[in-house]
Parts: sequence; C-alpha cells; structure tokens
Amino acid sequence: MSDQSINPARDTGGMVMACVFILIASISLWDTTNMMDSDSYVFPRAIAIAMIVMSLFLIIWNIVRPAGFMQEEHQKGSAARRIFLVAVMLLSCLVMPWLGFLISGIVTFGLLMLVSMYDPWTRGRKIVYPLVAGVIVVGFYTLFSKLLLVPLPVGLLFE
Amino acid sequence: MKKELGKCSLMMLVVTAIFSILASVAWAQDYPTKGVSYVIPFGPGGESDITARHQQPFFKKLFGQDLIISYKPGGGGAVGWAQLNKMKGDGYNIIGINLPHIIIKPQQKDVGFKTDDITGVYMFHYTPDAICVNKDSEFKTLADLVEFAKSNPGKVTFSGSGKGTANHLAQLRFDKMAGVKTTYVAFKGTGKAVAALLGKQVKAEWGYTSVGAKHEDKVRMLAVAMEKRHPKFPDVPTFKELGFDLVSGAYRGIAVPKSTPEPIRQQLSNMIGEINADPEFRAKMENDGMALLDVDYAGYKAFIQKMSDIYLEAAREAKIIK
Amino acid sequence: MPGIEYILAALTPFNIFLAITGVIAGTVIGSLPGLTATMAVAVLVPITFSMEPSSALIMMGAIYTGAIYGGAYAAILLNTPGTPSAIATTFDGFPMAKRGEGDLAVSIACIASVTGGLVGAAFLLMLSPPLAKVALAFGPVEYFWLAIFGLTLISALSEGNLLKGLIGACFGLLLACVGIAEISADVRFTFGSQVLLGGIETVSALIGLYCIPVLIDLVATPDKHLKVTHQSRGFRFLEALALSWKAKFSLIRSSVIGTLVGILPGAGGSIAGLVSYSEARRTSKQSENFGKGEPEGIMATESANNATVGGGFIPTLVLGIPGTPPDAVILGALLIQGVKTGPSLFTEGGSIVYTFIYGLFLATILMLPVGLVIGRYAYRTIITVPKAMLVPTVAFMTVIGTYAIRNSISDIIIMILLGVVGWILNRFGFSPSPIVLGLILGRIAEQGFVQAWTIGAATEELGKMFFGRPISLVIIAFILISLFYPVIRARLPKLTLFRGKNNE
Repeated sequence: MSDQSINPARDTGGMVMACVFILIASISLWDTTNMMDSDSYVFPRAIAIAMIVMSLFLIIWNIVRPAGFMQEEHQKGSAARRIFLVAVMLLSCLVMPWLGFLISGIVTFGLLMLVSMYDPWTRGRKIVYPLVAGVIVVGFYTLFSKLLLVPLPVGLLFE
Repeated sequence: MKKELGKCSLMMLVVTAIFSILASVAWAQDYPTKGVSYVIPFGPGGESDITARHQQPFFKKLFGQDLIISYKPGGGGAVGWAQLNKMKGDGYNIIGINLPHIIIKPQQKDVGFKTDDITGVYMFHYTPDAICVNKDSEFKTLADLVEFAKSNPGKVTFSGSGKGTANHLAQLRFDKMAGVKTTYVAFKGTGKAVAALLGKQVKAEWGYTSVGAKHEDKVRMLAVAMEKRHPKFPDVPTFKELGFDLVSGAYRGIAVPKSTPEPIRQQLSNMIGEINADPEFRAKMENDGMALLDVDYAGYKAFIQKMSDIYLEAAREAKIIK
Repeated sequence: MPGIEYILAALTPFNIFLAITGVIAGTVIGSLPGLTATMAVAVLVPITFSMEPSSALIMMGAIYTGAIYGGAYAAILLNTPGTPSAIATTFDGFPMAKRGEGDLAVSIACIASVTGGLVGAAFLLMLSPPLAKVALAFGPVEYFWLAIFGLTLISALSEGNLLKGLIGACFGLLLACVGIAEISADVRFTFGSQVLLGGIETVSALIGLYCIPVLIDLVATPDKHLKVTHQSRGFRFLEALALSWKAKFSLIRSSVIGTLVGILPGAGGSIAGLVSYSEARRTSKQSENFGKGEPEGIMATESANNATVGGGFIPTLVLGIPGTPPDAVILGALLIQGVKTGPSLFTEGGSIVYTFIYGLFLATILMLPVGLVIGRYAYRTIITVPKAMLVPTVAFMTVIGTYAIRNSISDIIIMILLGVVGWILNRFGFSPSPIVLGLILGRIAEQGFVQAWTIGAATEELGKMFFGRPISLVIIAFILISLFYPVIRARLPKLTLFRGKNNE
C-alpha cells in the first residue's frame, strides 16, 4: 500500500524468519500427532500447514522478485542497554521466589534507573530519584497486596 | 518478617523448624487468628467462585476472620493445583478442589500434580448433573429422548461444559446405560452451554440442577443424577427412579498444602462442616440448585477412591484417557 | 417506559458518591496494564454484600465502565492496551501521542467512551428483552465467522506485506493453542513443560508484545518517549469535540456495533473494538491514515468498547447469561444477594434494574469530567517524567500487572520473552498486531469451528451449517466486502461519490 523509499535489497531477514516459522510450524505439526481427540488437532494442524505454505511462499517470492522490503531504522541506539534491560527484568523474575516481590522490585527498579539514565547524576537527583523510586515501588506493592489482595510473593528467605 | 538473617543458614533452618512446630501446636488452639487465603483455581464468576462466595460471609460470621478469595485460573484448574504443595502449610492457605477434574486430569498427561498429591479436608457440596431441554422441546420425558436417540443414533446433540468434565462423563455413562449414541458438543463453561441450549443450537444440554434453578422459566429438566429428588424440584425424577443408576455431578471441596499439620487439617474440616450445617447457608445453596455433601477429612480418601473407580472406567471407555 | 421515580432512586447522594468513587477507581485500575475490569469488579464483590442490590450494581457498573475507559490511557501513552478491549486504540492512539498529540487523543477517547457508554445504556434501558434474543441467535458457526471477520483486519494492519501479516497471525493462532485446550481438555504444545499448561494468558501476552518493545527502544537512546510541543494546551476539549462532531455518524455506528457485539456472550470488548475499527476504516474518507494516528480510529474503538458495558448487561440481566467476563462476576454477586435475573426483572423487580440503568447513565456522564482530568494528569505525568524514572516505573508496572492476572511468576517470564520475540519479529517486518489478533481470535474461531463441525456432522448438514444460516451469510458478506473493498473502490470511482454523501 505505502510505497515510499523501497529498498531494492533482498529481504534476507524476512527469509530467515520464514525459515524459523517453518521450523516452529513443523514442531507443532509433530506435536499434534500425540493428541487423541480430533477436536484438539484439527485446528492447530490446519494453521501449522497454512503457516508452512505461506512461509515457503514468502521465501520463494523473495528469491524470484527480490525487492520491496523497507528497512526501518531500529538499529540506532545502544544494544548493550537493550540487553541489560531484558536481562535485569528476567533475572528479577528468577530471584523473586527467594527475595520476594518487594526487594526484587526495588533492586530491579534501581538497576533499570541506572540503565535508562542519560542525564548526569547531580546531587539533587542522587537524593530525589531513589526516594521517588522507593515511594513508587512500596506504593504499588501496598496497593496490590493490601487493597487488591493480590498474594505477591513474600520470599522464601523471609518465611 | 524476621530479621535475623545472615546467620548460619543451617542454624536458621533448625530454629525455624522448632519454631514452626511449636507455633503449629499453639495455632491449633486459637486458629484462625487472621484472614485465610482461599484460592479458586478458576476465573471469577464461575460456579466454583459463586459457592466460595456463599461460604465467605458464613466463615466470617462463625469464626470471626475473613475468607480472602483469589483466583489462579489456567489449564482447567491444573495451574492452581500444581502449585498447591508449594504454598505455606500453616492453615492460612486453602484451595478449592473439583471432581472429576482432580481425578481425570492427572491421568490424561503430566499436569504437574497427581490425585494423591492433593490433601482434601472436606468435600462440601455437589451440583448434580441433569438433562435439560427447552420448555417447548419435543422431549417431554427422559423416555421420549431415549426413544428418539435409539431410532436416530448420534442425532441428539447435547451441549455441555468442556470434555472430561462432570457433564461429559455423565453423558458417556448414560449413553452406555441406555444403550444409545448421542453427540456431545463441548462449550467453554456452563454459561455458554446454556446459551447454546436456549438458542436451540443443540437439542438438549447435559447441565446441572443449578441450570434448572437459574433458568426456571425457560428450561425443563428431564431427570437429575441424585439419590433422592432435589428439594427445590420435587417434580423432577431422578435417574435412579427411571432405572438408570446415575448419581453424579461436579463435586467441590477444599484442600490444604501437604505441609499443613494434622490438627489444623482436622480443625478446618470441622469448620467447613460447621458452615455446611448452618441452616441459612443450606437454604441459600439449595435455592441455587446445589446439593450439600458432608465428606470430612476422615472420609476424604475413601470417597476419592470410590469416585476414581467410577470416573476412570467411564473415561477409559470413552478413550479420554489411556 | 419506566418513570421518574427510578431516576430519583438512582440519584441519592449515596449512589452518586458510589458512582463517582467507582468511576475514579475504575479509571485508575483500567489504566494499569494487567489490572482488568474483571479483577476490579471481583475485588469489590465482598464490599457489595453489605449494600442494597441496586447500589451494589451501580458501584460495580461504574467501576466496570471506568476500567474500560481507563484502558485507553496506557494504549495511547505507552502503546500498551490496559485491557484487551483497548487493543485497537493503540493502532492510532500511540502514533498520535508520538507526534505530540497525546493530550488530544486522550480527550477524544474520553468523549468517544462517554458516547459509547450512553448509547449502550440507552439500548439496555429500552430494548433489553428483544435484543437478548440476539445473544441466542448466535450459534457456534456465527462466532466462527465473526472471529474470521476480526482476522480480516490483518490485511489492513500489515502495512503492505500481507504475507508477513498472515504468517504472524498463524503464529498467534498457534500460541492460542498452547496449554490445556479449553473445550477438548487435551494438552497441546507444552512440550512437557508444566509452566505452559495454563496456556499463554492473553493480557500478559498483550503487555509483552506491545509494551516491552517500547521499553527496549526507550532505553537505547536518550530521545524523549513522546514528542512534546512547547506549551500546555489545556484539555483541547473543544478541538476533540469538534473532531467528534465531524465523525458523529462513525461514532454512533461504532457505538451500535459495540452494543450488539457486547450482547454476544462469546465475544466481548476486544472483538467489539476490532470490528468497529475495521468498519470505521473501511467507510472512512481518510482510510489510508488509519494506523498512522487518525483520531477516527480511536473514536471507533473507544466508543465501541464502552458500549459493550451496556450491551453486555442485556443478556446478563434478561437471560442470566453473562455477556462479558466482568458481567459474570456481577451476575455471581447478584445471585448471592438473592436477585433473580430474567425478563421478570424488568417487569416485577423493575426498581432494581431501572435504578441500576439510570445509575449507569450517571456513571457514564460523570466519566466525562473525571476522565478528562485524570487523562490530562496521566498525559502530563508521562511527558514530564524523566526517562530514568519512566522506564523503571513502566517496567515495574508491567511486572506487577502481569503477576496479578493469575498470581504467577512464570507469566511474567513468558510476558518478557514474548516481548523480546515481538521486538525481533518487528525488525524483520512482522508487526505485533496480527500476532495479537491471532492470539485473541484463535480461541473463539477454534471453539466455534469445532462445535459447528460436531453439530453439523451429527445432523448431517455440514454445508448448511457453515454456509446456510442467515446471520452467518451476513457476516460472510461483510468479510468479503472488507477483503475486496479496496479493490472495488479502486475500480469504481462512483462509489467514492456515494460515500461522500453518506459521511458528511
């Protein structure tokens, strides 16, 4: 539909992804063979087959007519910070059963604050930011656990 | 929270162990001293939730503490039950259990728990299965339906909630007893199964007596799967009267984590029994079409054994499980 | 027609207080990703035991309607639907916010929500018993086609690469199958993992696929989250009102669609939003702007999802069959209070129902000032908060919100991983929206298909089952129109003329 600045380069990334999708669909197809009830496998099987066909089509289309992929400017920015963000969030989930929600939340909050800080750490910020962070985490924690009665993990170390 | 961390962890373990034993003895006397968390392994608004909500005010009235209901839906209850034994066994964590779910699911595949992993303390009610039809249906009696099914195999379509549920197993057992073949159309939950019946998408529904109670003006029950007729529906015959030995339904109870001490299990069992004995509670439950049941902690094991035999046979024949 | 006495009964100071508190609490709860209207209402149930049934209903209705509106904030300002109903709000809301028009978008969402809410409540007041029949006329096969209709939106959302959109949707459809199947009870695609037994929770998947990529990109550069134009421009209420007035037909049509979809017990706010978005886009003169920050897109979704509140109460109160998940909770609370639902509730038990409906009107109208104020506050907060606070706060909210849905840490991990997958896929031109559509509509499509197939096979009328029922045929016609309309429009310039007349 929109045809601005078509990049003549072949959509290699899209083709690689199509291969990944073919793999996912094949694994799903194989998994459906363990299902006993036709009610459970008819639908996923049809979808997996459709996915394989369309992915193959995408690959062939790209080989025959290599054009038409618009590369978006996703690359700019720090990859290290991106990875750090995801890693910190995942780690916080892993330690949550032991440390409890509150402590892992505060630690995660602090680390994410460091990674997303682009301004200089002035003395004022050094004092205000951690304070606000504490208020936010404890506030949400109280809201969820006390008012909304969500059983947030307390942490095995403190039981 | 205790702050004396940082010490030798072994020492800590020993201390906490002694402490918790002492505490459990002490607690058994004046339990409960705070709110009890009651996990429903289904979403809010379902029948499991509603029965728990019925218990809630009576728990407060009789024992002075709150019953705090929270939900852990997923996998038809499996997500909640798989985590039961990881919860703290201090009597302040209890979970709702449902039959036939806790019997059928672990037999299908590895769902993270076994039937024996669940320490039930009380089975407090069941919603009896019933065949429901629309008021203007051609089937006036169960005999009409059986007759039609005999001459038109497979053409009687029943809506019902999910496969491997009480409704489905009742359909399987009834088909065998009556020597007919009918078609079971599984819906997600009783609400949608009723909608399919009222919208005449199906000829009948394998529902519950609660369906008959909720939709009195539109639905007629042909028979109920109870020992005796339901007090709210004196005109509806039981399957037994009509010659089919079918007493079944969705049974609900309460379980505790394995680590819960014996005295507390016993006390909880007594407490649920007390709620069940409250005449006002009984009246409310029966008015919703439910039937009360009193299987206490002592009787739980034998009850599960008895029901397992029945359910597993039906499920095996229907090839729901291997 | 019910009289003035019910209006007065609804307008007691206590009820007004309940409505205001309810709307405020609901809006705040709905704006936090992960906290859904269902949860908000469920938490309140014990409180309502000690109230009059009609007051309890007013409070729950106010929370519910506030929560559905509150979902728009996170959708517009953070690209994260706070509730599934607000999915389509992200399509145009976030692009608008990005270019510095978040304040306008929030005000438009507020006006649209109030309009939708009022239309839904009006239908509830006047046409409940006849409309309840619609809920029953929809059988499995109709749900199947409705889900397919929703999936046709993919062609609009995949920005030039339909094939990638379709592959993404298939991926979403497969994700929907993970776990213990809802109706056949079989274990699928868990590969031995117990964590996956419960399946991929829809709301946490939404949070992951939409919000985590935003965070990942936010942290990578020092750029501002949203573009900020120099000075404050107030509510921009008149501007929003003028835009809404210009699109009044679209607004009313979306509200009616929302009401009708809300009546269907198997559908709900997410489908209402998607269907009316699709229709608004098809009939709009600016259809090429949809997805790039078109105010009409926000109006379509927000009016439709708030209309489902009134619509959903129709089968709930008339038939005792909940129209939407929050309705199921409200129905349960009513049952415990001893209120018997059914058509008689509208005749004999009139006072409760009509007091409640007028209470719902009241709550919806109150949503206008409350929504504008909270919305403005939310917008100002998001644009003024420094990045070093914004990123951790949003991240923390996604984590605690995802946990709260079903108290599960594994759900958080799944949420984060899906976010990473979504971010990577997006880099290769697979946008997250088709995946989400597949995930949400997949379950409805599958259940409808399997049920229709079973019934059709049993009665030996398979063909008639799928292609022989009047409502199905109408939906199929709409599917064909929305698939081929762009082609038809390109060929027939006359049609544009006709449309112009219709829309002005």
